[in-house]
Amino acid sequence: MEKNNRLNAKDLINVGIYTAICAVICCAVAITGVIPIMMVLLVVFVPLFTGIPYMMFLTKVKKFGMILILNILMGALMWVTGMSWYALAVGTVSGIIAELIYRAGNYNRKWNGIIAYAVSGIYCWANYFGIFFNADAYFSTRQNYGQEYIDAVTGMLPVWMCPVLLVIDIACGIIGGWIGTKVLKKHFVKAGIA
Amino acid sequence: MEYRLKRDLHSLLDPRTKLLLLFTSSVFVVGNAGEKWMVVFYWILVYLPVLLLFIEREWKAGLISIAIYVGSYFAQMALQHDLTPLESALALMLYIITKILPTVILARYIVKTTKVSEFLAAMNRMHVTDKLTIPISVIFRFFPTVAEESRAINNSMKMRGIEMGAKKATEAVEYRMVPLIASCSIIGEELSAAAMTRGLDVGKNRSCIWNIRFGVFDWIILVLCLLCFIWWGVGRFFI
Repeated sequence: MEKNNRLNAKDLINVGIYTAICAVICCAVAITGVIPIMMVLLVVFVPLFTGIPYMMFLTKVKKFGMILILNILMGALMWVTGMSWYALAVGTVSGIIAELIYRAGNYNRKWNGIIAYAVSGIYCWANYFGIFFNADAYFSTRQNYGQEYIDAVTGMLPVWMCPVLLVIDIACGIIGGWIGTKVLKKHFVKAGIA
Repeated sequence: MEYRLKRDLHSLLDPRTKLLLLFTSSVFVVGNAGEKWMVVFYWILVYLPVLLLFIEREWKAGLISIAIYVGSYFAQMALQHDLTPLESALALMLYIITKILPTVILARYIVKTTKVSEFLAAMNRMHVTDKLTIPISVIFRFFPTVAEESRAINNSMKMRGIEMGAKKATEAVEYRMVPLIASCSIIGEELSAAAMTRGLDVGKNRSCIWNIRFGVFDWIILVLCLLCFIWWGVGRFFI
C-alpha cells in the first residue's frame, strides 16, 4: 500500500464514475415517486438499489475524502434536480461520519463499509424535510399534482414519521449494503475486478 | 495558406456563465422559488435554453424540445379540474415535464457545447479545487456512457428472456446491475490511464488552448441572473 495520502486523478475519476452510476440508478428509481405510495417507499428502494455500486465503490476507497466528495456531489445533484438543499447539507455531514466509520475499519473491514453506506445514504431521507417542516410551501409548488396526491402523501407522512423514516432508511441501507457485499463476492471478486 | 488555430473558437458563452445560468434555472424553474412574483423571469428562463440551442444552430433539438414543452404545457392547463384518477396521473406527469424540461434542455446544451478542458480551465480560474472539478467532469462524460451501456445490456437480457416484472425480479435486477458496474469500472480504468497521459496527475498548473474570457453575451446573462435573484429577494423580504 502506498504511503501517499493525497487524492490523485485516478481516485477522483473513480469517484466521478460511481457517482454517475448511483445518480442514474437514483433517477430511475425516483421516477416512480409520482405514485403516492412509491413517494414514501423511495426511502426503501433507493438504498436497496444503490447498494451494489456503492459497495463496489468502497473497494476502491483507500484514502480520506472520497466518500465525502461522492456525498457532496450526490447532494448537489439532488439540489439541481429540484429536491432541496437539505440533501446537500445532510449529505455533507453524513459523508464525514461515514468517512470516519470506514476509516476506523482501515478501509477494508466489511461491516464498517456496510454501516458507512447506511449512514451516508441518509441524504435520501433528507429529501423529505420539505414535507415535514414546511408542508404548505412544499405543496404550493406542486398544486398541479392534484389535491388527491397531496392528501395521499400528507396522510402518509405525519410529523412523527420523520424519525421512523430515518430508521427505515438506515435499516434499508444496511440491507442494501449487505446485498452489495454478497453480489460483490459472487461476481466481482471472482472476476478480479474488485 | 498558413494554418492558424482559432483560439476564440468556442461556444457563445463562458463555462462559468453556463453554470450560473443552470443554477438560476434550477432555483427558479424547477424549484419554483417566488412563484407569481417571478413570472416574467420564469418565462425568460424557460425559453432562454431553446434560444441558446438556436444560436448554436441546433435547429432540430431546439424545435423538438419547444414542441414538447408547449404541447405538454397546454395539455396540462387543459387537465386542471374534475379529473379521474387516470387523468390526474397524466396531468402530474405532464406537469413534471413542464417543470424539468427547460433545465434538462439547458443541461444538454451545456454538455454539448462545453469542452472538458474548457470547463477545467474555467473552474481553475475560479479557484475551485481539482477534487471537485475532476469528478464533476467525469460525471458529465459518464452519463451518456452509463445510459448507452445499460441500453445494450437491457437488449441482451431481453434476448435471453430475463425481463423486468418477470417471476424472478431479483435476478432481473442483478443481471442488469452487475454487467453495468463491471463494464463501467473497466471504462473507468481506461479513462484514468488517459488522464494520466494528459498529465492530470502532475500537480502543476495546466494550460488551456482555448481563450476563456467573458464576452458581451456573458455579461447580459450574468446581469439577467443577478436581476432574478435581486427581484426574488425584493419580493421575499421587503413586500
